[in-house]
Amino acid sequence: MDKLLFNPVRLKILSSLINNSQCDFNHLKKVTEATQGNLSIQLKKLKEEKYIHIEKKFSKNYPNTTCSITKKGKIKFEEFFINLITLKENGK
Amino acid sequence: MNSSKDQIEAISSVINNTRENLKPISINFIFWGCLVIVMSLFHIAFESFIQATQYSATLFWTVLPLIGMILTIYYNIKHRKKIGYETYLSRVIKIIWGVFNLAWIYIIAVSLTLNNFHPVPPILFLLGLILIITGMIIKFKPITLGGIFLITFTFYLNFNPGIDLLVVNVVGVFLGMLLPGLALFYSKPDNKSDG
Repeated sequence: MDKLLFNPVRLKILSSLINNSQCDFNHLKKVTEATQGNLSIQLKKLKEEKYIHIEKKFSKNYPNTTCSITKKGKIKFEEFFINLITLKENGK
Repeated sequence: MNSSKDQIEAISSVINNTRENLKPISINFIFWGCLVIVMSLFHIAFESFIQATQYSATLFWTVLPLIGMILTIYYNIKHRKKIGYETYLSRVIKIIWGVFNLAWIYIIAVSLTLNNFHPVPPILFLLGLILIITGMIIKFKPITLGGIFLITFTFYLNFNPGIDLLVVNVVGVFLGMLLPGLALFYSKPDNKSDG
């Protein structure tokens, strides 16, 4: 199984992005219940592995970070989810 | 969160957190329904004023809808920024109605260049198609039925060319857009698509 997705914050980030075409930083902070610093680190790790795409813009002088899932991220998440279901069915 | 069960629960809780809210879509329908009906009734009531010059009616029917387009685009962008995410369903609906806006501009431009081309029947036909698609995507029957009504109505127009097209606009948009929009606005969230 993909070790990158064993981290709950990273798993929640991808779960949110698989369901939406794009999410902003504040929404991800809300769904992951992570601190700003932790979320930034986890987003960076997912970006480095090319699981997500990050777009940084400025809106009314405030930074606005928008994230979306990449094709690789979708495949990895689907593989991870199938493995989870298999494990659950096997009672682990 | 070590077991597979915990991880599946975490995934489903995140997905449930971003359920589709269709109220903003209904507000778009209600806004456009009201705008077109009010404009049509105003045109009927003050026909001599609206048609005072060769271009006044054209200006009336292009400037106000363009302002309406800008307002609805602004509202939808503001709403998306407020909730912080965009579902795939919202994205699909945004693209479909964006294409409709472009088609509307095209039909208006053609009607300005051709003398005997009235834009109302093709716009209502196209609106009917888009309503059927939207209703089927969001799984909301009154919107689909509104679209079917508009298509049938425009088909009927072909055999009755003498009908006042402003009255057609009022009836068509009221039954095809405003009523389904109100039905969507007041519907329970459980009846709607989950995105």
